[in-house]
Amino acid sequence: MKIEELRAGDELLYSGELLLMRDAAQKRLKMLLEEGEELPVSLDGAIIFYAGPAKPTKDSFGAIGPTTSNRMDAFLEMLYLKGVLATVGKGKRGQQAVSLCKEYGRAYFLAPSGAAAALAGRISSMTVVAFDDLGTEAIFRVRVKDFPLYVAIDYLGNDVFIKNRG
Amino acid sequence: MDPAIVELLDHYEGPFSSVLRENAIAAKETGLPICQDTGFLEFFVFQGNEVALEEPIIETLNSAVKKVYNDKPYRYSIVSDPLKRVNTRDNTPVVCHLFPVRGDRLEIRFLVKGGGSENLSRLFMLNPTATVDDLVRTVVESLKESAARGCPPLKVGIGIGGSSDKAMVLAKLALTRSFDERHHDKDYAALEERILGEINDLKIGYQGLGTGITAYSVHIETYPSHIAIMPVGLATDCYIARKGRVILED
Repeated sequence: MKIEELRAGDELLYSGELLLMRDAAQKRLKMLLEEGEELPVSLDGAIIFYAGPAKPTKDSFGAIGPTTSNRMDAFLEMLYLKGVLATVGKGKRGQQAVSLCKEYGRAYFLAPSGAAAALAGRISSMTVVAFDDLGTEAIFRVRVKDFPLYVAIDYLGNDVFIKNRG
Repeated sequence: MDPAIVELLDHYEGPFSSVLRENAIAAKETGLPICQDTGFLEFFVFQGNEVALEEPIIETLNSAVKKVYNDKPYRYSIVSDPLKRVNTRDNTPVVCHLFPVRGDRLEIRFLVKGGGSENLSRLFMLNPTATVDDLVRTVVESLKESAARGCPPLKVGIGIGGSSDKAMVLAKLALTRSFDERHHDKDYAALEERILGEINDLKIGYQGLGTGITAYSVHIETYPSHIAIMPVGLATDCYIARKGRVILED
């Protein structure tokens, strides 16, 4: 994925890898870094999907979809410093996140919220890579095919939510 | 999904419209939930004084939720302690509000409440001299800032009066009403319509991306209050607005 070719408002279908992590996992990564520990997973070049999947079935890896990104703005710089390329979630983010996207030249995508059964059909593999004890909040590696994304903040710091920034 | 939600979705033509429509069908065919956030269960129990139960109602509700979330491909989203945050792995305990009433009837209303929309909840302690305009402005300004994070279109519940905690419970209770269920008092019914109009004028839209309606409906519940206060509780539900209602009577 070439981040520089994407502009706020673009829609795309992404095929490739996503690293799932949300609140609890990021808090734990931050604590590990503060203690000078190694991270259990490389974030270099990763696209982070803020999500926690539902239980799998025999035919499916389980319902999946984005959670609110704004809650995790405080961890965004940590992710960028570790080489994260982009994040995927739902909803508008704070000014801090917009500035960080511009400063580091990274993007923020939306995935459709409330579309979890349809998105489950676009997952071809899913494995836990760290923090299994967190249940749905563990870090998972997933492969997706034709996963619908929408560029909400581009690498220049353009933000589609700017007009309703309260 | 509520047929009214499906019908509105059929007319939505903004970003992600096709995958949202596909999702309604996929959920039906696969048995997977419409949203991966299968929520926490919040119950509102109206128990008549002639109704005797074999166990505390919350135990019955916890057992039922445990069974359903164990059997279905839902998500375990509850942590046992707000600070220690260990997942209970059965989606219990539930939140249960009891309303003592007269009679031999047991009515249980419930919300299957996602966390994203829950974070939009607010309590405003307005001055007792606040006008209707002040109240409307307070609610609309709050949603202007937050609605894009809560999976709009939203269902909006407003609790006015009582104490601080009562206003919040009333706001939640309001969300158990049907979209077309207006307040029985015509002034409050009109206020619900007015606030809905102003929220939709924000044009936040589906997914917060500016196309389509911002809210389905506004529901107000009220309670007598103290001379020094005017508590206003604000609660929202997301675009799939999951709720239920069971009535048991002789």
